[in-house]
Amino acid sequence: MLAPAVLVMLVLFGGAMAGAVRTSVTPLGGHAGAGAWSTLLHDSEFHDAVAFTLRTAVLSTGLAALLAVLVALAARRSGTVVRALLAAPVPVPHLLVATVAVLWLAPGGLAERILGGLPFDVVHDRAGAGVVLVYIYKEVPFLVVLLLSAMGQGYRERDEAAAAVGVSPAQRLRWVLWPTIRGPLVVGCIVVFAYVAGAFEVPLALGPSYPPTVAEYALQRSDADLISGPSVAAAALLVSAAASIVLAALAVRAAKDPQGG
Amino acid sequence: MSDHGLRCTEIAVSPGGGPPILRGLSLDVPAGTRTVLVGPSGAGKTTLLRAIAGLEPLDGGRVQLGGRRIDGLAPHRRKIAVVFQEPRLLAHLDVLDNIALPLRAAGMRKQERRRVAAAHLEEVGLAALARRRVQGLSGGEQQRIALARALTAAPQLLLLDEPLGALDPNRRGALRRLICTIQRDRGLTTVVVTHDRNEAAELGDHIALMLEGRIVQHDEPRGLFERPVSAAVARFFGTTNLLPDGDATLAIRPEHVVLADEGELRGRVIETTYAGDHVRVIVDCDGRSITAHVAPHETPRVGDEVGIVLPGERLWRVPPRVVDHEQR
Amino acid sequence: MVRRRHRPGLAGLAGVALVAPLLALVVRAFADEWRSPALLPQRFGLRGVRIALGADTGSAFANSAEVALLTVVAALVIAWPAARVLGERRLRHPAPVFLLLAMPLLVPSYAVGTGLTEWFIRLGLDGTTLGLVAAHLTVVLPYVTLVLLAGFGPRLTAIEEMGSVSGLPPLRRLRLVTIPAAAPTVAAAALLGFLVSWSDYGSSLAIGAGRPMLPVVLLPFVGSDPQVAATLAVVFLAPATAALVFTVRAGRRPL
Repeated sequence: MLAPAVLVMLVLFGGAMAGAVRTSVTPLGGHAGAGAWSTLLHDSEFHDAVAFTLRTAVLSTGLAALLAVLVALAARRSGTVVRALLAAPVPVPHLLVATVAVLWLAPGGLAERILGGLPFDVVHDRAGAGVVLVYIYKEVPFLVVLLLSAMGQGYRERDEAAAAVGVSPAQRLRWVLWPTIRGPLVVGCIVVFAYVAGAFEVPLALGPSYPPTVAEYALQRSDADLISGPSVAAAALLVSAAASIVLAALAVRAAKDPQGG
Repeated sequence: MSDHGLRCTEIAVSPGGGPPILRGLSLDVPAGTRTVLVGPSGAGKTTLLRAIAGLEPLDGGRVQLGGRRIDGLAPHRRKIAVVFQEPRLLAHLDVLDNIALPLRAAGMRKQERRRVAAAHLEEVGLAALARRRVQGLSGGEQQRIALARALTAAPQLLLLDEPLGALDPNRRGALRRLICTIQRDRGLTTVVVTHDRNEAAELGDHIALMLEGRIVQHDEPRGLFERPVSAAVARFFGTTNLLPDGDATLAIRPEHVVLADEGELRGRVIETTYAGDHVRVIVDCDGRSITAHVAPHETPRVGDEVGIVLPGERLWRVPPRVVDHEQR
Repeated sequence: MVRRRHRPGLAGLAGVALVAPLLALVVRAFADEWRSPALLPQRFGLRGVRIALGADTGSAFANSAEVALLTVVAALVIAWPAARVLGERRLRHPAPVFLLLAMPLLVPSYAVGTGLTEWFIRLGLDGTTLGLVAAHLTVVLPYVTLVLLAGFGPRLTAIEEMGSVSGLPPLRRLRLVTIPAAAPTVAAAALLGFLVSWSDYGSSLAIGAGRPMLPVVLLPFVGSDPQVAATLAVVFLAPATAALVFTVRAGRRPL
């Protein structure tokens, strides 16, 4: 029963990873070697890209998680209509949100026209604030859906039971809410972090031209140099994948630790 | 005798590949009769039912129905219908189509099967609900629909697993009577599982008591209440007075113990508990507790000395060998 | 207990704030002239539609739809048995299988695409529908499996047992009992799978070999021509919305 799925994953995903490793060490028509990896090691643009990607991913994930918990708390007793509205952006593609963001927030965009001028610049800005904003818009609803579904399963009854024996609201957040949402929140944050760290349509659409994200960097290398570019790109993407996997493992371990909460 | 009923011979079952729950269990249910399987939680009642229906594989033994061996057959070929503890209705169908499911399995055309299903729906007293969705119906209504669905299958054997379990006590009586009526009218061979001994007495022509994966006594209801084959059976059916008599044990039900001024035994009342239709009185008799159920207006006070009469015709001698076997 | 009257509080406001910006997109798509600082377009027109239609949109739409549909069907068929095993907790040590099936969630889809390109070029699969479906399947399968297994469990097996003892042989039981009972879960999994494939940029770009896919066609316009970008975005959103509506309808039949 498991065989088809496991086989497909081993062949396609395993093959993809093996292919990426192979590409990273064998430039087109060249000899096998670690040239691409040493390029990465010495390229200051890659270092900047790693720092920028990490910052964007950490900021997006952290802020989205915080906002999602607040929204889920506010919406925990809301009806179907509010829940549907909150979940509405989940199926909207990232690229579409980026398009809308440019429409509203770019210089001369709708927000500026309505407000008569924006105090800040978030499209193609150097800090990448627009990128973070788009991710927050997309990922908060995603996390809210996860949290509300976790809170739907007996959370209210447990919260009432705790209140009935004299546990204060602040204590209930800590002792009742947190254990309820910790698992789904950690899983959701891992998915969000990995996505932000690896996707590039949003930064391409409204991110700064420098520094790039790691995925953008890989794309640029691929396009710039048809011979050694793909090797450098594959190496950069493998770094990003490895980082996400390691961070995910650490997060799962921390979430399992009962004292870690 | 039971060539055409249900016969389980030496069956062994380990659900889900776990530890064995049934080891060498045998059970005969004569054709057209109703047997109630009763026992505490974890005794293996549901496992036995599922094994008969083919939902748990046998490790060993045989199941025969109507003289043919069915233990090798897939569940859908056994001509057995099951009413589960939960109604298990399909949410995407209306009430009639739920009831008609076995007819659809048999390949009957839609008009025809809805007509047959409507007749069964009427039989369980819910004709008005025919076109309703099943969501929003009460637990009792859903369970009646599940019963109608089982009848629609025209089974050779009907299995009911705690069919009253999800209902509140006031609604149980009606469904219990319905089950008995339907079974009797059709002469349907039926096995009902329950954990409640009073419900067992009201539901069964025969009761089979299961303890720890074995059937320890299969008899008429009075037999289990008044002539237990072991101390364990006596305890399950509320025969709390077990008095040693040589190497045997004498058993008598609390409602048969008479408290009087005179009596062959004397003791002091140590506890009285009002239980609505009777009062439970515990008398200490030389360090041994004897329980009696007496009418509320005849209740002695705690500390009173009373005489105890154990009517000879009500005393039951529990066979000693079985007592040893059952006592752990 | 008294039912609490609904207050359009913080959550309601947040909901509106999340949906409203999308509406501006439709206006922008049909605004031939909309210069700052006007709040409404100076002139409506179909310039965006004309240019968008010229830009490989038709074939991109067809390619994306074909790949997404095939990917979803393949993912559902492959994920179903695995999700039943995992959802019904039949494995003693499910963790390694979980990990393997969830792994692609942690890896950039561009990395999956780049890695597969290495092999697909040799096999002549780059730019083919089969190649794109295989690449998308790698990214989509984890989502579909996770949604399915969350919906599978004792309730579905209970309903199946009922089907068996009602006389249904396995295949008819699957059609008449299991699939209808699991419909909301399957619909949710199919929707998510479709959307992930439909909007996947990374692996489409890597495997596509120049074959137009909707996200790949849309992206360059975001910076260069907002009207065309908005038009394409509306096209981009349409099947997603249709899929959502379809799922909500299918999901009306709770298990």
